[in-house]
Amino acid sequence: MTLQMATSNPFIELSVPSELGYEKIARDAVAAFARRLGCDRERVEDLKTALSEACINAIEHGNASVSGLRVDIQCTGMVDRLMVEVRDYGVRRYPGDMPVVGIDLKLQGLAPRRGMGLMMISQLVDEAGFTENTEGGNRFRLVLYFRRS
Amino acid sequence: MLDDELSVSTRERDGVAIIDLVGDVTTFAEEKINTAYAQATGQGARHILLNFRQNDYINSAGIAILIGIVTEVNRNNQKLAVSGLSQHFQKIFRMVGLAQYADIYQDEEEAVRGFAATAA
Repeated sequence: MTLQMATSNPFIELSVPSELGYEKIARDAVAAFARRLGCDRERVEDLKTALSEACINAIEHGNASVSGLRVDIQCTGMVDRLMVEVRDYGVRRYPGDMPVVGIDLKLQGLAPRRGMGLMMISQLVDEAGFTENTEGGNRFRLVLYFRRS
Repeated sequence: MLDDELSVSTRERDGVAIIDLVGDVTTFAEEKINTAYAQATGQGARHILLNFRQNDYINSAGIAILIGIVTEVNRNNQKLAVSGLSQHFQKIFRMVGLAQYADIYQDEEEAVRGFAATAA
């Protein structure tokens, strides 16, 4: 993990194996960074869940669960917000424009039980979505405007 | 792959089958949770309480497992409740719709009283 505090915007980047379970390590690192920037407890919890879901999408969809790949996370602290980018290798393009399916259809067996991650992310952070990545791969950006604790 | 960090056990209290879930609820939890639910159901449980403890991490894959439990609870005409969730995960349960199908209680005591009240 790289931590840069000399520039005007604090910045970290980390890279984890593209395997389920490692999203928890990324989540804990980013949460510590957010707390360091003064983000309040409730918003840190929201960020932890949103980031976990973004990493899981990168592992399962963007990297298609291919072993040996990695997920890269970059966080930049700004005056009023934290911006997090999650990048995968783009084994599969993952635009994330699937319709949101409610729990009723899942309970009736008419939709997969999985597939709630993007909906959760969109409700937990202030901005979320895929951005252009000229290097290939999917790049998903989360923005959290924080109330300082 | 990082292994799961969930301990699951079942017990009975005042006619409520309590499934204690201690730790992370993720994709790795599926077999343990489904086995515990099947065990409680096999013993004739009508009231099921998922009692969460020390759950620092519940993700969408874990929620999908719980949606599966709700499906079975509905099929078996049981009643489901959850307890012990942090404020954050209570919010998540409401967000994904699980709260429509399982009453949320702060702790086990309150949940057991809740089951007794609805059964009276």
